[in-house]
Amino acid sequence: MQTLKINGKKYQIDVEAEMPLLWVLRDDLGLTGTKFGCGIGECGACTVHINGQAVRSCSFPVAAAVGTKITTIEGLSHHNKHPVQQAWLEEQVPQCGYCQSGQIMATAALLAKNPKPTAEEVEDNITNLCRCGTYVRVRRGISRSAELMRKQRV
Amino acid sequence: MKKQSFKRRTFIKTSTFAGAGLALGFTFVPLVNSATGGRVSVSGEKGAELGLWIRIAPDGTITLIAPSSEMGQGVNTSLSMILAEELEADWQSIKTETAPVNSDYKNPEQPMQLTGGSNSIKGFWEPLREVGAAAREMLITAAAQKWGVSVGACKAQSGYIIHQKSSRKLGYGELVEAAGKLDVPSDPTLKAPEEYSLVGKPVPRLDLPDKINGTAKFGIDVRLPGMLFATVRQSPVFEGTVLSHDETAAKSIRGVTAVVSIPNGIAVVANNTWRAKKGMEALNPQFQDGLTKGLDCQKVRKQFRKALDNKGKVELDSPKVLDLEYEVPYLAHATLEPMNCTASVTDNFCEVWAPTQNQEMSLDVTKEITGFDEDQIRIHTTLLGGGFGRRIEIDYVTQAVTISKNLGKPVQVIWMREEDMQHDFYRPASMSRFQISLGKNGLPEKWKNQLAAPSILKRYFAPLGWFGFDPTSTEGAKELPYAIPDFDFDFSMVDPGVPVGFWRSVGSSHNAFYIESAIDEASHLAQHNPFEYRRKLLAEKPRYLNVLEKVAQDAKWGRRLQKGHGLGIAIHKSFGSIVGAVIEISSNTSGRLELHNVWISVDCGKVVNPDIVRAQMEGGFIFGLSAAVGEEITLKAGRVEQSNFHDYSVLRMKSTPDISVSIIESGEDIGGVGEPSVPLAAPALANAIFSATGKRCRSLPFNKHGVKFV
Repeated sequence: MQTLKINGKKYQIDVEAEMPLLWVLRDDLGLTGTKFGCGIGECGACTVHINGQAVRSCSFPVAAAVGTKITTIEGLSHHNKHPVQQAWLEEQVPQCGYCQSGQIMATAALLAKNPKPTAEEVEDNITNLCRCGTYVRVRRGISRSAELMRKQRV
Repeated sequence: MKKQSFKRRTFIKTSTFAGAGLALGFTFVPLVNSATGGRVSVSGEKGAELGLWIRIAPDGTITLIAPSSEMGQGVNTSLSMILAEELEADWQSIKTETAPVNSDYKNPEQPMQLTGGSNSIKGFWEPLREVGAAAREMLITAAAQKWGVSVGACKAQSGYIIHQKSSRKLGYGELVEAAGKLDVPSDPTLKAPEEYSLVGKPVPRLDLPDKINGTAKFGIDVRLPGMLFATVRQSPVFEGTVLSHDETAAKSIRGVTAVVSIPNGIAVVANNTWRAKKGMEALNPQFQDGLTKGLDCQKVRKQFRKALDNKGKVELDSPKVLDLEYEVPYLAHATLEPMNCTASVTDNFCEVWAPTQNQEMSLDVTKEITGFDEDQIRIHTTLLGGGFGRRIEIDYVTQAVTISKNLGKPVQVIWMREEDMQHDFYRPASMSRFQISLGKNGLPEKWKNQLAAPSILKRYFAPLGWFGFDPTSTEGAKELPYAIPDFDFDFSMVDPGVPVGFWRSVGSSHNAFYIESAIDEASHLAQHNPFEYRRKLLAEKPRYLNVLEKVAQDAKWGRRLQKGHGLGIAIHKSFGSIVGAVIEISSNTSGRLELHNVWISVDCGKVVNPDIVRAQMEGGFIFGLSAAVGEEITLKAGRVEQSNFHDYSVLRMKSTPDISVSIIESGEDIGGVGEPSVPLAAPALANAIFSATGKRCRSLPFNKHGVKFV
C-alpha cells in the first residue's frame, strides 16, 4: 500500500512502484483532468505539480511521488480563481481544451518561481504541445497571468 | 436576404412532454423522403425527444441539442448564439448537449450526420434562426393570451415576455406549458441584422470554464462502473494480419484480463491503461503481409512521377516559361487526445461514448457488429480533443464495440501515441507539375497544371476510383480565381495503398501550396511585385481583391524591410471563405530562419462570433505552419517510420509567430472558418523564404529540405 497526498487529500493505493503517476490519477483515482498525450514526456498534457514543480506525470513513477505534495488541475483553485485560469478565460485561450490542463499547470509553476519571466524564459519553459494552435493566446495568457499575480500580491 | 427556397424545405415540429416544457425541432422534408434520409430511421415519432433541437424547461433553462461535434472550433457557442439571438434568450440560461444520431440533425451541407467541411454555421444558420424565432413567437402568444392583450403589445427580451404598457413580465419557463399547446408558426419573422445583440459580438465561449479546471469530459475521460481499459496493436504494414502472439505472457501481467482479436490486430484488456500497455508489450504480437508490404517513399514518389510522365508536358513557345515540379508528404493528424472510444454492450443494448465527428457511421458500424436495431443503440458524442478530420473515421468505434461485445463488459479502448501515429488516415502525399508561359505583359498566358494524388473519397464510394474523379483531391487547383486565358488542369489518381483521409482543409492543404507558390514564381520571373501581380490577375474579382488589399495594407506591404527579412503573400479560397496571408521572416547570420509576424484577412461572408473566427484563423494557420515547417510521415518496408512527437515534429510556442487577423464582413454567403486558413501557411512561408533568401522550396516540409528554423 502507498499513500499519495493529492490536492490536500490522502489516497491509499496499491499499485506497481513503476506505474506512471498519470495512470494512477486517471484510472485508479478518477482524476481525469490530467491528460494522456504521448507517454514519453514530449507533449506536456499530463503536467502536474510535485512539491510545486511542474512534472510530466506520464514519465514519473508513482513510487517517486509518495511523500510529496501533488497538485493536479482539479486542485489548482476553487471556482477557477487561480490567476492563470482567470487569464485563460480573459484571453479565451482554449479551443479543444485537451492540452490546456497541462499548459495551465506548467504556467502556474513557472510563475510561482519566476513572477516576471522574459519572453525567452516563457518560451523555453512552456514547451507543451497544442494541436489546435492556441500558442498565440497561450503567450498572451501567460503575460496576463503574470500581471494578475502581481496585482494580487500588492 | 432570407433564402426562401431553403425555408420551404424546413418543417418545424413541436413536442411537449410531461415536466419537460417546450421542445422544438425541425426536419428537412425532402431528406426524410430520400434514400439517404431514410437510413437513420429513428424518428421523432418513436422517441419524443429525438429530432428536437431546443428544450425550454419550466425553470427557464434553454438547452440546444447541438447537431455538431465540439472539437475546439467553438461550435457549441456559435450555434447557441444564433438560437439565442432569435429567441431573445438570456445568454446565461443557455446550455448545450450534443445530439444523438438522427437524420433530423444531419447538416444539410453534408451527405450524412457528421461534423466536417467547415459546414456547421453554413448549414445551421438558417434553420436555427427559424426555430428560435418560432419559439419566441409562441412564447409571446402564450403570454398575450394569458394577459388578454394583443400579441403586438408584447415583446421578448432576455428570457422574458414583457407587456410594455403594464410592465408585466413572465419568464420563458413560466410560459412553456401554455406555449407548447400552440400551433407552430409557419412563417416566423426573423430579426433584421441591425437588431442583433449577440450575433456579431465576441461572446465568451460557453465551453471554456470547464476546460480550465479539468472538468471538461473528453472521450478518454468516460468512466463507467466496472469498466476495463484496452489498448490495441494493429499490423504496422497496413492491413496485414496477426501471425503470432504470447497470450500467456500477457496474462501474467498484473491486472490483464483478456486478449481479444480486432480487425487487422489484437487488443489487450486490463483494469488500468498502463497495465494494458504492459500486457501488450508482453503479448509481443507479430504480423505478416499487408497491402503496403515493401513500400517506401521513393516508390510512392516514383508512382506519382510515372503518372505525370504518362500525361506528358505541354511545350510552350514563349521567351518566359516556367517548368515546375512540386511535392508534399503524407501527414498525420496527431490529435492531442489519442484515438479512443468507450462501449458497453449487453445482451440487448449497446451504448457508445465516442469523441467522434461521425455519428452516423458510428451507429452503422455498431449495428453491424452487435446485430442490434437502432433503438437498442445509443451513441453519445463526448468532447473531442482535436478532430482535424481524423475523427470522421470510425476505426476506434469498431474496436471498442467489438471488444465490449466479446467480453460483455464496458471497455474503454485507448491507443498509445505510437499506434495513433502509425495508423492514421493520412493527408495524402502528392506531386504537381506546372508549365506556365508569360505574355508580353508578364502575366500568365498559358497555365498547364498536372496533379498526381491519391483519392480519399474512393474508400467511401468506389466508382470514383474507377473514373479517376475525386473533388477532394483537386479542390483549390481545378479552378483558379486568376484571369488566365489558357488554363488547363489535369488530375491523375494514384493509389500507393497508404490509408488516406480528410486532413484539415483536405485538397486545399496541398493545392494552395502548389498554386500560390507557382503564381509567386511567375511574378518573380516577370519581375513583378508578387502582391501587385496577384492584384492584376484578380482585377475582376472584388471579394478576392478586398481580402488581398486588406492583408497587404495590414502587413504594410512595400515598406523597407530590415536586412535579412522577407515577406511572403498568398491568397486562397476554400470552404466558401477567402483568406489572405502575409508572413514576415528573417534569416539570421547562421542561416536559420525566424518567423516573426503573420497577418491574415478573411472574408467569410457573415460573422457569428468574431473572436471564434479569429481563433480559427490563428489556429488553422499554425496547424498549416506546423506541417510546412516540420511534419512528415515517411514509409520504410511498408510501415510508417514515425512513432511519437520526438520524431514527428510539431510546432511549439517558441517557433510560433505573432498573428493578427482582420475580418471583412462582406455580407455574402456564409463561408466556413475551421479550415480555410490552413492552406495559406505553406505557400506564404515558401514565398517569404524566397524573398528573404532567394531559395525556392518546392517540397515540404521545409526543415527536411534544406531550410533550418530557429
